[in-house]
Amino acid sequence: MSAENGTTPAATPAATPSELKAEMLRGAQSVATAPAPNKNRGITSDLSIDEALLLHAAGWEPVDLVCGVSIASVPYGVWTWGQGEISTASTAHNAAVQGASNRILEECRKVHGHGVVGVRIEVEVRNHHIDVELVGTAVRPVGDASPPALPFVSDLSARDFTLLKGAGWMPAGLAFGASFVYAPRRSAGAAMQQKTQNIELTNFTQAMYAARESAMERMQQSAINVGGHGVVGVKVTEGPMSFARHAVGFTAWGTTVKLVADVHKNITPQVILPLDDAVVTFAAQNLRGS
Amino acid sequence: MADPAEDLPEAAVRRFSSGAFSSGLTVPDFAACLQLGLQPVGLVQGFCVMQWGWYGSGSSYMRGANPYSMGGQTAGAYSESYRCPHGYVSAEHRMWGQNLEQPWVEQAWSSGYHSAYARMLEEATALGAHGVIGVVDRVTQVSDSQTSEFHFLGTAVTVDDGPPPAGGTPWTTYLAGQRLTKSIEAGFMPIAVVASMASVRVWAYCITEYLMEGGRGWGNPNQVQEVEQVTKAHMAVRQLARKHVRQQLVGDALHGVEIDVVKRELAQGDEVIDCTIRGNRVRRFKDFDNVPAPRPTVRLS
Amino acid sequence: MTQPADLPKDATHRLEELEHGLFTSDLSVNEFLLVKEAGFHPLGFVMGSSIYHIGLQTRKWGESQELTKLTEAMYTARELAMTRMEEEAEELGADGVVGVRLDVNYYEWGSDSAEFIAFGTAVKAEDGTSYKNALGKPFTSDLSGQDFWTLLQTGHVPQGLVMGTCVYHIAHRKLTQALGSVGQNVELPNFTQALYEARELAMTRMQDEASQLNASGIVGVRLEEKSHQWGSHTIEFLSLGTAVTKTTGEVTLPTPLTIISLDN
Repeated sequence: MSAENGTTPAATPAATPSELKAEMLRGAQSVATAPAPNKNRGITSDLSIDEALLLHAAGWEPVDLVCGVSIASVPYGVWTWGQGEISTASTAHNAAVQGASNRILEECRKVHGHGVVGVRIEVEVRNHHIDVELVGTAVRPVGDASPPALPFVSDLSARDFTLLKGAGWMPAGLAFGASFVYAPRRSAGAAMQQKTQNIELTNFTQAMYAARESAMERMQQSAINVGGHGVVGVKVTEGPMSFARHAVGFTAWGTTVKLVADVHKNITPQVILPLDDAVVTFAAQNLRGS
Repeated sequence: MADPAEDLPEAAVRRFSSGAFSSGLTVPDFAACLQLGLQPVGLVQGFCVMQWGWYGSGSSYMRGANPYSMGGQTAGAYSESYRCPHGYVSAEHRMWGQNLEQPWVEQAWSSGYHSAYARMLEEATALGAHGVIGVVDRVTQVSDSQTSEFHFLGTAVTVDDGPPPAGGTPWTTYLAGQRLTKSIEAGFMPIAVVASMASVRVWAYCITEYLMEGGRGWGNPNQVQEVEQVTKAHMAVRQLARKHVRQQLVGDALHGVEIDVVKRELAQGDEVIDCTIRGNRVRRFKDFDNVPAPRPTVRLS
Repeated sequence: MTQPADLPKDATHRLEELEHGLFTSDLSVNEFLLVKEAGFHPLGFVMGSSIYHIGLQTRKWGESQELTKLTEAMYTARELAMTRMEEEAEELGADGVVGVRLDVNYYEWGSDSAEFIAFGTAVKAEDGTSYKNALGKPFTSDLSGQDFWTLLQTGHVPQGLVMGTCVYHIAHRKLTQALGSVGQNVELPNFTQALYEARELAMTRMQDEASQLNASGIVGVRLEEKSHQWGSHTIEFLSLGTAVTKTTGEVTLPTPLTIISLDN
């Protein structure tokens, strides 16, 4: 497959202004008459035009918009203050992400996509349930309708996908891990004693550190499970639950990647010096107020 | 069909007859537009306020009732029922639940959207435009009164030496400027901005209610499980929205899709989920020419 | 290699996985490619944290002064977090850590205490040269992947993230003074002096750290000012930068191409 070998289709030089006008004219003429009936399914893609063109330059094309949603219930009483890790919450989070990933993969398979790029991930942790939504565009090498055994899901933009592919890497899946923990308690006596001192709170440090590492570790494990060589673009989020401020959740997300070429290919960038100043641009949206 | 100019507000007619053009394009977009041989002829807009819903649609007294069970219209495409497995009969225990598509809501939305869009096209036609670029569309809910405003804004253009479009209807696109140039260079001609909406109502049954509200007992297992009814409703609403959009495409492609999901939670596990999909409908007018492979760069600013 | 005594169990388990070949990094794809281009490979995402209780310090309402106890607290807490992060990097056999970020978190249940976290990606030179700094430790730097690549092209290497901090209390003005200047354009000498002195203290301390590393200079200096939870008359000045030294290599940065971008 030429796309897999890293060669890109031959490129044409950029158009001159008169060529652009000719193109526009051709386009306008093509819609001046009613079109022949078209039996195609019609692709939908949420890639911007820049991304779609980059993808094409790498020899791949968008196939369809795909989604996956899952809502996992959290049993009663899980958030009441306790000790250590809130394992039920971690299980629920994991279940919701897995469920959503499975559904988006199913939709990808149905349209014979080789993988999903640009996945937008939305997670909402509520008192009684955890909701996960994934939306992305299924893609495949141009004209190749045979699906691979395990399509990939990745939150890489089409642009990053193209860059990585050019360097010899492919996404293998979405890496994620989560852990939820109760904030440890301090006795009143200890609190009074520590009032004037500069001192590390070792209990707290241990608890938060452990939870953060645990989330990262689960993320690494999910990468190993799909046979990945590494995880890029790791994003770690953390914060207390809005409905239970003594419970803190840590999540780690990233894209699992695999080296598919023999060696990493270097990219040799060109250094540029832009001459624009930052200007405030006028946009049509501003005309509407609101 | 009535003379298009009769339908427009009087102010619009005065604005158009003044001769000078206004446009919503930024300076770089304006430059790119002229490069393509497009002449802006004026800023055009369309507007519509729609109300829908029918009396009692939110009330729990009319639970499960809908225009189909009450009226005799044709049924919506999607519905799924759920039965309580407990065998316990009580006014508090919901033995029956349903995921139901709400075509009356979808039709009202579609009607409002297309009316506003058509009015924008009318203004464009009055100016003799071939197309409208840089379209900006907005739907706003007006508080809880089930009223929505649809507003369209765009820059009408003519193509230098170009023919009028088929059927006298200008082509439209969300793109403008460099992005439109790239799209044309790649061989995609804009046809129209396309949007559609799907709405699904979840009438929760006992299991769903307990899972979503954290209730105990009644067979609610104290373990994590997927809330099947609500999950299916979410998947269905997105699939339906895509299906409706595809019907409008007639085989053409939809680029730059935006998908918006709004969820309104009513009491006791019930929800209404609305999903809107919009994008640019485009058609290939020449074989794909690759743009030159981009050069990776590092900025020094 | 002995286990670093300071890290929690979960950390060592995670690091072991990384030593078996899996790498993790919080570099974006652009940064990842540039780091590879510079001849380094990411080893793993490393972090260190410390929850620190910051003791009370009395201060005179009418005097501008440095609150040394608070300065010490902020400094020690960050050092603890950074040291743990460096330990994780050493455990992985790294030459350095890039993209270091220092964050402070406050939780409602911990009044007067804050969590200090340091994150970064540990990297190692692919050709086996050691890039450890004058203290024999992996270098740390808050440079992004792009800046790291550009720095190496200029013939410099990072030595370490250096910081200087100063917590300063600004005297409240006496009522008579305040009334005297109502409606006038006037410099407020109290404030001017206080803020000047505080900033200088922070920057001097940062430069001292750089000298300890035998650095020839500091790049990317950032001066941050925060009141944290102390009210508006107590400000922490934090000065951060990356200390660098010149290597014997020549400058390989090519002449840049000047452009005017037409994209918004």
